[in-house]
Amino acid sequence: MDVPETVTTALEDRPVAGATCLEAGAGVGNTTAGLLDAGARRVYAVTNDADHARTVRERVGPGGPDESDRAALLEADLRDLPLADDSVDVITAHGLFNVLPPESLDAVASELTRVAESDCHLVVDDYAPLPDDAEMRDLFSVEDAATELADGRPALTFYPPAALRRLFAGYGWVFDRRRTLLDPVPWTESHVEAHAEVARSAAERLPDELGGPLCEEADRLVESIGEESVGEMYSVAMRLAEE
Amino acid sequence: METRSLGDTGHESSVLTFGAIALNWLEQDGADQMVELLLDRGVNHFDVAPTYGDAELKLGPKLRQHREDIFLGCKTQARDYDGARRKLERSLDRLGVETIDLYQVHGLEYDEELDTITGEDGALEAFRDARDEGLIDHIGLTSHGNPQLILDAMNRIDDLETVMFPLNPVVVGKDGEDHDYEAVLERADEQNVGTLGIKAFAEGPWPPTDELPEADRPYANWYEPVDTPAEIEERFDFAAAQGLTSVVSPGDPKLVAMVLDAARRYDGMDESAQRSLVERLRHDESPVPEQLHH
Repeated sequence: MDVPETVTTALEDRPVAGATCLEAGAGVGNTTAGLLDAGARRVYAVTNDADHARTVRERVGPGGPDESDRAALLEADLRDLPLADDSVDVITAHGLFNVLPPESLDAVASELTRVAESDCHLVVDDYAPLPDDAEMRDLFSVEDAATELADGRPALTFYPPAALRRLFAGYGWVFDRRRTLLDPVPWTESHVEAHAEVARSAAERLPDELGGPLCEEADRLVESIGEESVGEMYSVAMRLAEE
Repeated sequence: METRSLGDTGHESSVLTFGAIALNWLEQDGADQMVELLLDRGVNHFDVAPTYGDAELKLGPKLRQHREDIFLGCKTQARDYDGARRKLERSLDRLGVETIDLYQVHGLEYDEELDTITGEDGALEAFRDARDEGLIDHIGLTSHGNPQLILDAMNRIDDLETVMFPLNPVVVGKDGEDHDYEAVLERADEQNVGTLGIKAFAEGPWPPTDELPEADRPYANWYEPVDTPAEIEERFDFAAAQGLTSVVSPGDPKLVAMVLDAARRYDGMDESAQRSLVERLRHDESPVPEQLHH
């Protein structure tokens, strides 16, 4: 399968060849595929999402499009990784942090640091907060309102790169470089629809008088947005300071 | 308009090359005006073929009037010596000129063709003889076939001076050897071979003919083109920013003025914006509902 350019661009200046790698938040396995392409010795793809786990397993498993005996899928919580201390050379978090609510940040950063080898490389790729006038921002607001009400936590939080740098600085990580992966970010019709669907399915778990208007607003925004190219996707690379 | 060195040919080609098939769809007066417009805007590289309907004939008058201002590319699909020679003479006759600046093997698709072209009594022998006689100046190749075949051709044809091949954000977004036209671009740069990009403005294939009969298509292109000024501009900028010598204009005359405008205003494209375009089209082509990220 094709590795997105966002992934290849984020990895191209990292020492992936021969490294033991951890993809934190595996999604559909794009970064796992990118790490394998770049010559990783071993890739642990970690996700706590059963659908994503199945997708990645099929992708890198026997007969899959990116079949590899160098990849292992771990269905696990990022706050409690089934990996030894100091065992990983390169950690990637590609589009991970926007699905982590603020209260999880410390536990995840701490656990990633625990498994990191001294001198480990960390790559955090994510979306900067959208500009105020972006219509996608309204859709994310509806999505967050619905999920906050239904599940008690927002679906998405967009952290500025400086916030994640400071978070990891607190665990001994030193800033290495920052790149712009996408500017603007292309939110295509399929993205718009997928986010609206998250909002609708959360809204349907709410009482009608609350969920109804949220569904209507999601529908209206899908119609109004169509597709929108706006915002920035960044890549921040850090290294664990040697002890 | 920006110009770039066309490999070792010694020619500085405008960053936009006119795909003269567009003239086929115009009456003679319109064709004459189109050529004047292109020259006025700084386009100095034209590309035509005998298979483009009346394009050679319609290009003729203005080409002869402005012969010194136009670097003329032409091509043939003939693969053997005699066929290539006949086609070349016919093109010279229809165009009404003494020489063609760049004569290209047109539309290479199969390994066997490459064997024929490079073999004894093959088209390339005819090209070289014509070059010795002064009928053509430079030898090139065009293909929208497999990039590995183009690379093979570049290995096997020592005096190849240009290659024309597809390059657009959809192609760049695809991994694997079958879409690796970037490897062609890289090799061409190493060997100082000029590069001409086609299909820069392709949006995708036309709908099947039972949905949209050929006669009802709104454009003459054999693919569906992008057709708004913003899309045309980002596609032009993307192709030019990849490092091609020149980007070939789309085949429908209705699109040419927009492309000209984009080419005149070209001043590079940030890499993050290039990736944004690749990413947008990657998702358009294969929407994966469960994948919310780029």
